[in-house]
Amino acid sequence: MTIKLAVRNLSKWFGDLEALRALDLAIERGGFVSVVGPSGCGKTTFLRIVAGLELASAGEVLIDGRAVTRPGGDRGFVFQTDSLLPWRTVMGNALIGPEVAGRAGPQERRRTLDLLKLVGLEGFESYYPRQLSGGMRQRVNLARALAIDPDILLMDEPFSSLDAQTREIMQTELMRIWEEGRKTVLFVTHQIDEAVFLSDRVLVFARRPGRLQERVDIALPRPRALTIKRTPEFVAYVDRIWRLIEDDVRASVIEQKA
Amino acid sequence: MAMETQTHGGILQALRRHRLAGTVSVIAGLVLWEFVSRVIVANPLFLAAPTQIAAAILALGASGELWRHIGVSAIEFALGYAIACVLGILAGLAMANSAVAKRAMQPWVSGLYATPTIALAPLFILWFGIGVWSKVVVVILLVFFPVAINTEAGLRTTSERLIEMLRSFGATERQIFFKVSLPSAVPFILAGLKLGIGRGLIGVVVAELFGSRAGLGRLIAASADSFNMPELFAGVVVLAIAGILMTAGFTWLEGRLVPWTRD
Repeated sequence: MTIKLAVRNLSKWFGDLEALRALDLAIERGGFVSVVGPSGCGKTTFLRIVAGLELASAGEVLIDGRAVTRPGGDRGFVFQTDSLLPWRTVMGNALIGPEVAGRAGPQERRRTLDLLKLVGLEGFESYYPRQLSGGMRQRVNLARALAIDPDILLMDEPFSSLDAQTREIMQTELMRIWEEGRKTVLFVTHQIDEAVFLSDRVLVFARRPGRLQERVDIALPRPRALTIKRTPEFVAYVDRIWRLIEDDVRASVIEQKA
Repeated sequence: MAMETQTHGGILQALRRHRLAGTVSVIAGLVLWEFVSRVIVANPLFLAAPTQIAAAILALGASGELWRHIGVSAIEFALGYAIACVLGILAGLAMANSAVAKRAMQPWVSGLYATPTIALAPLFILWFGIGVWSKVVVVILLVFFPVAINTEAGLRTTSERLIEMLRSFGATERQIFFKVSLPSAVPFILAGLKLGIGRGLIGVVVAELFGSRAGLGRLIAASADSFNMPELFAGVVVLAIAGILMTAGFTWLEGRLVPWTRD
């Protein structure tokens, strides 16, 4: 397997606050890797640096061996809030990436239409965001990131605003879509079971300063059905990761209360 | 921006009920007015009844005089309003895009917006004469500021999330402006334009009261001088109808152009 995304000695400071310390990791092509950790562990900052939305204070992010410092068509970002343009239809929103790149021709249109079908939005192309449910909006959010045909999909807690049932449906849908395209995925979440269910590997972050605490390889068979969440192997993974971050989470909860 | 709190089934019913209440209220008011004017005041030098006003409007319309006044006022309003909208939007764009422009213009804009500049109308009549242009200048002065302020506010309050989304696709500043900032400012700009209608109408009438040869303000002033209450009210009613129609037109336009602000 070849390395798609490599991170070397990555650090980030916000003024006096050390957000990320000396991050080193590598993700294989087509791999699904999640980042979990308590609030304030720098997981979103890390994703934003990889996306090029934030600059690193030290170290570098390499994609296919080349350093990246700004957003590019090789990475598609799926936002926590859907961030859809309310004056554009589903199709218009999904096409924004190709449009910004200056290539929203009939071919891109057809491809995007297929993508909307893939995420389960066939027949909703001309709807406006306000006419859609939260789950459907996140499907548009995903289709929009896929429309630029990125090598890497960066996902920032994309299902956190959905209710529990919709979230589980979206997890299985994401699995199905990923199995079809096998893009490299970097997925940030605070739900441990979501990370275990989706990933080949879970990166557990610690806080103060934000840093990589442990890599947990998930050796569950694929394709995975939702029922796998009730197997002892699955529960053992969740348990192990929870124990890794428990103290940190408690500390962050107390801090937020104070 | 309008907020809908009721469900769809309830809205239709409530609307029907409210419509009915509105119609009843207007009719009752007119009947009361008619009664007070004919029976209690009973002096046509002080108050005209709705039926007398309607008759005056018809008579003025038939003689062609009403259309002459409406035509002059309409030209003054249209010219001033159009110029003010263009200048106001441009000024708003400049203030939103350049910190220097904002610093330089902000004190003037805030200061003059709060000033009752209508008081300067006599001065403008002195400068620009008794004709159309003195009124156009007054209208510009009244309409410009709400449009400029709203345009700037609309561009400045563009959602950071949406800008960031576009940036993640590698958008340039120019693309961010045209694909996010400008469209999301449209509801604010429309609100400013709508605010300008009432202010512009006031500008036309008051400037005409200070000195003019024709126009609805002239009609009102002349009627007041000769104690012709039906014609005075005729002028006011025509102005009210113009204001209501234009505002309603804008509300309709908002529904078409920026439907996402409705819910």
